Amino acid sequence: MTAPAARFVGQRVARHEDARFLTGRGRYVDDIKLPGTLHAAFARSDVARGRIVSVDTTAVAHVAGFRAVYVAADLNHLVHNHKVDDEPPGRERPFRLLADDDVRCVGEPIAMVVADSRYQAEDALEAIVVDIAIEDPVLDPVRALEADAPLVHPTTASNAYNDLLGAPNTALDEVLASAPVVLTEIFTQHRYLTVPMETRGILASWDPLREELTVWISTQGPHGVRGQLARVLGLDDSHVHVIMPDVGGAFGLKMHPSREELAVVVATKVLGRPVKWIQDRRENLIADEHPREDRATVTMAAGVDGTLLGAKVDFLEVAGSFPSPGASAAVFTTVLFPGPYRIPAYGGSAKTVFTNTSGRGAYRGPWMIETLARELMIDCVAARLGMDPLELRRRNVIRDEDLPYAMPTGMVYDQITAAATLEQAAEKIGYDELRVQQRVWRAEGRLVGVGMSLLVEPSAISFGFMSTDAAIVRVGPNGKVDVAHTGASHGQSLETTIAQVVADELGVDLGQVRVTQGDTDATPFGPGTGGSRSAVILGGAARQAAREVRERMFAIVAHQLEASPADLVIEGGRVHVAGTPTRGMTIGEIAHQAYSSPASLPPGLPLGLEAQVRWAPDSFVTWSNACHMCTCEIDPATGSVEILRYVVSEDCGVMINPNVVEGQIAGGVVQGIGGVLYEHMPYDDAGNPLASTFMDYLLPTAAEAPEIEYGHIETPAPSNPGGHKGLGEGGAIAAPPAVVNAVADALAPLGIQVRSQPLGPADIVALLEHVNR
Amino acid sequence: MKPSAFEYHAPDTIDEAVAALAELGDGAKVLAGGQSLVPMLSLRLAYFDHLVDIGHIAELRGIRNERDAVVVGATTIDAAVEHDAELAARVPLLGRATPLVGHFQIRNRGTIGGSIAHADPAAEYPAVALALDAEIEALSPRGKRRIPARSFFEDIWATALAPDELLTGVRFPVWNGRSGFAIREFARRFGDFAIAGAVVAVQLDGDDRVERCAISLFGLGPTPRRATAAEHAARGQKADIAADELGQLAMSELTDVPSDVHGSAVYRRRVGAAMVHRAWSDAIVEATGA
Amino acid sequence: MPEAVVQMTVNGDATEASVEPRVTLADFLREQCGLTGTHLGCEHGVCGACTVLVDGAAVRSCLMFALQARGAEVTTIEGIAGPDGGLTHVQEAFREEHGLQCGFCTPGFVVSVTAFLRDHPNPTDREMKEALSGNLCRCTGYQGIVNAVRRAVGAEQ
Repeated sequence: MTAPAARFVGQRVARHEDARFLTGRGRYVDDIKLPGTLHAAFARSDVARGRIVSVDTTAVAHVAGFRAVYVAADLNHLVHNHKVDDEPPGRERPFRLLADDDVRCVGEPIAMVVADSRYQAEDALEAIVVDIAIEDPVLDPVRALEADAPLVHPTTASNAYNDLLGAPNTALDEVLASAPVVLTEIFTQHRYLTVPMETRGILASWDPLREELTVWISTQGPHGVRGQLARVLGLDDSHVHVIMPDVGGAFGLKMHPSREELAVVVATKVLGRPVKWIQDRRENLIADEHPREDRATVTMAAGVDGTLLGAKVDFLEVAGSFPSPGASAAVFTTVLFPGPYRIPAYGGSAKTVFTNTSGRGAYRGPWMIETLARELMIDCVAARLGMDPLELRRRNVIRDEDLPYAMPTGMVYDQITAAATLEQAAEKIGYDELRVQQRVWRAEGRLVGVGMSLLVEPSAISFGFMSTDAAIVRVGPNGKVDVAHTGASHGQSLETTIAQVVADELGVDLGQVRVTQGDTDATPFGPGTGGSRSAVILGGAARQAAREVRERMFAIVAHQLEASPADLVIEGGRVHVAGTPTRGMTIGEIAHQAYSSPASLPPGLPLGLEAQVRWAPDSFVTWSNACHMCTCEIDPATGSVEILRYVVSEDCGVMINPNVVEGQIAGGVVQGIGGVLYEHMPYDDAGNPLASTFMDYLLPTAAEAPEIEYGHIETPAPSNPGGHKGLGEGGAIAAPPAVVNAVADALAPLGIQVRSQPLGPADIVALLEHVNR
Repeated sequence: MKPSAFEYHAPDTIDEAVAALAELGDGAKVLAGGQSLVPMLSLRLAYFDHLVDIGHIAELRGIRNERDAVVVGATTIDAAVEHDAELAARVPLLGRATPLVGHFQIRNRGTIGGSIAHADPAAEYPAVALALDAEIEALSPRGKRRIPARSFFEDIWATALAPDELLTGVRFPVWNGRSGFAIREFARRFGDFAIAGAVVAVQLDGDDRVERCAISLFGLGPTPRRATAAEHAARGQKADIAADELGQLAMSELTDVPSDVHGSAVYRRRVGAAMVHRAWSDAIVEATGA
Repeated sequence: MPEAVVQMTVNGDATEASVEPRVTLADFLREQCGLTGTHLGCEHGVCGACTVLVDGAAVRSCLMFALQARGAEVTTIEGIAGPDGGLTHVQEAFREEHGLQCGFCTPGFVVSVTAFLRDHPNPTDREMKEALSGNLCRCTGYQGIVNAVRRAVGAEQ
């Protein structure tokens, strides 16, 4: 049986989901209405650390539309078990539903009001009087680790959430002690946020008669939510039905429900009525997960010819007050740091620390500090050696002949093409001419810089509950195809890309395949969508399930025509003898026969034209890689940075849909540019988060985004039959170092070093003025 | 983020609006375009018992040409100002400032009177009004008056309007002769509030000397500010006076430059100087070509 | 405040309803008119997800009270369609150029771009990007959106 032609995989197919989104017929959680729904709002701490003296809710009852108010004493004990699947063992994650005796960050929810409308719920909030005795917060992570620092969580011994100590490494110590060039730098990254355009939201409905919970939630993991909510209420999973509607972006924020969402679920059970909470933008900015605040101390050793001899890194990861499950990326950062370079001696360690700020969460490439620190350090080493940063990378990048390459950490690169992307990006941006032109511009006094970063992305991690995905492919009696899968697309275009894979395998038209997701009653258990896994793992499951259905169809036709399955091909919606199209059956005919006369099917063949496959890739990680290069110009009067050109050379294996690949890269890149140049969630000395609206938290617009140029290399992945690699997070990981390196390059002739972010205009001017002093 | 409740009044005429303001007192606020007021209400940063919606009063809208001035009605939307070719010719600063006001969706609702009455320190229209020594026309139970721009902006978000006084129009003088006009601002992103900006109007005599000029700064204090010392230094000078020095001089007059998440006072001064420099240069180019 | 009666035309249909003065036009359209295609992304007038046309002008419906729209013709995303009920050339261009991913910002963009191109059928790149800057997107990095507008301009010509 020959493999079917790839008619859709690889094509820039227009998306199936667009029809409803373009016409306003998407259905997001706030669009869903249930009769009798009440609306929740939360009273929050405006103090970063302190003892709650009193919460006076007596005046709330007089507010029109008021229904109920809850504080910690009412709800917290009703949570049976707040854990999610795959909670890392051995480290107790601090958790409470509502603040009880004390508050540990500004924004922490203290009370929940339920009313007839959100308008009225907010009126009711204003009637609540909270008295907090203010205590000094701890906001700086270095300070937080000092022995006499105030404790964020009173029951812990220190503010250390986790310690990943490096193992003793005498080989590394010797290299660092004896190498000709040894450099140590500290890089800091500020706090910036996921900010999906749709905030969080949940509509929870408890049916007291049937003791069933139905929940619509803006999520990227409906099954995980189901399990957690069942545990929260002390129910069996079978009593919980979670439906993921259309979701307006997530980027890691919506993998796990927030405390507010859990409180809504508890409330619906208490009230016996549906309760809805739609997070507003101010809550989304101030009081939701805060990723990215990190520090890295890097020591790198090199020979005078630029050969990298060793590296050591120590990460300081800020957990905030209540980090989300799995928010710590310390394991990833310490293991991945060497990246695509031959670094023979290496050691990494990490500390994760609590502060009185919003808790850390995952954001597109949660470990990206390792790429940032490494790529910035490479440029620092190049500068020390007086070597072009591209040249230094060329000397050390892992090449085909080095593969498979075992990193000092034990991870093995079976196949990466970092060197090829480096060259493709350099060619695309016209690197040599650019450097020549830069000398001319510099002579004119212009501050123009070139920056780059090399990324290796650990996509499709297959481990623990994330090991597998599943797909059910069903050909119905009319020959139309339904696919239900464990993914949770929230912008990743799975309704289209999975249809492309299945349509190719079944030889049908794209329009005949309908892909659904997100309903825990209709799909098998899976971890949802995140971690750049869908093309590999979900694609693998869908492909295999479609293949099984195809094999069954071939068996039916072979039996019918008294031919051998090896002689059959599938094309244009028909299975026929190769070379003799008239000898065949349409899929509709096969399906009709399969459903209406099972006795006519080949003996022993499983009945029906449906297959469910749960699939895992051959390796626990599928490496993809990219190179980002950009140019920027700085206006010295204002400090503003304009990105002039932005080039990405990407190898994500076999692309299912190049539009989708480029869209994922672009979204990540602009988030990364936003993070470096525009976005910042600063805290003042009292622990107040200062960017509480979109007037202060600045997302880049179309006027700020550069036009991105793409180069694609397609080296099929060994880990899955489709040859795909994941790439969704790469843009957000590789863009910040490329941009920071470009800014540093622009400022280098002035003797300015760039080690921290953000790099907004005032920050750039501060660097310029510091040098002038 | 939903607003708190208020009583809503929708007068049909200017007199009804003034009467309503007088009757309702301090707890009342005029609602025109709402582009500044409504977000403050939604964020519950401001509360009013009464909103008086003047948006449907036809007499408050429109652009009237007089011999030496243009009078823009209070509720004339920014987009109307932007697309009025005759206005752009007679008061070029209005035509050039308007595209910098927010985004086109904001300009479809925001009004020039609303912007001037709101008096945001970083807004463009107040600075233009100040540069041109415009007059703000207002009506109250005590009658009509014209308030010179120089006396109008008292503090951040505070003007000389009495609580029962309605801004009905703004009179912008027309500059004839060899003039040049420019507005330059620096904002974090296109359409954002300016961190610092400068409005320049300059008129040259036959000798290419500065006959009169105005340098109006915004984002650099609680109200827009005329850089009077810089203007004085420029008057009588040749057109090729060093614009960067003018910028420095303009900044040296300022005493209360704001500091916030978007920039310190020191930073704003640096940017402000550059904006004066650039706006002055642009205006001179236009004037010398005129 | 007791409710007031407001009359307006929404997507061509005469509409009369009772509404509290403080209810925004966005909430009125979503809740009372059942037109949930208009989205709330920030409720303070920055993100543009709530963009509708009021008397043909693109406005942020979260920055208007429903009562302010009395007597007006309001067009929401649900009212933007081709002559045969299919996609307009603007919508088609977004689809061809992958100008959307999660779809949440999309109605606001479609309405804004529809109004902008109607009034500026041949914009420069700079004019186009400035016009787009009033709508935020987090998924696409704007590449597909810019290309969609270029395509829509080309399609008209």
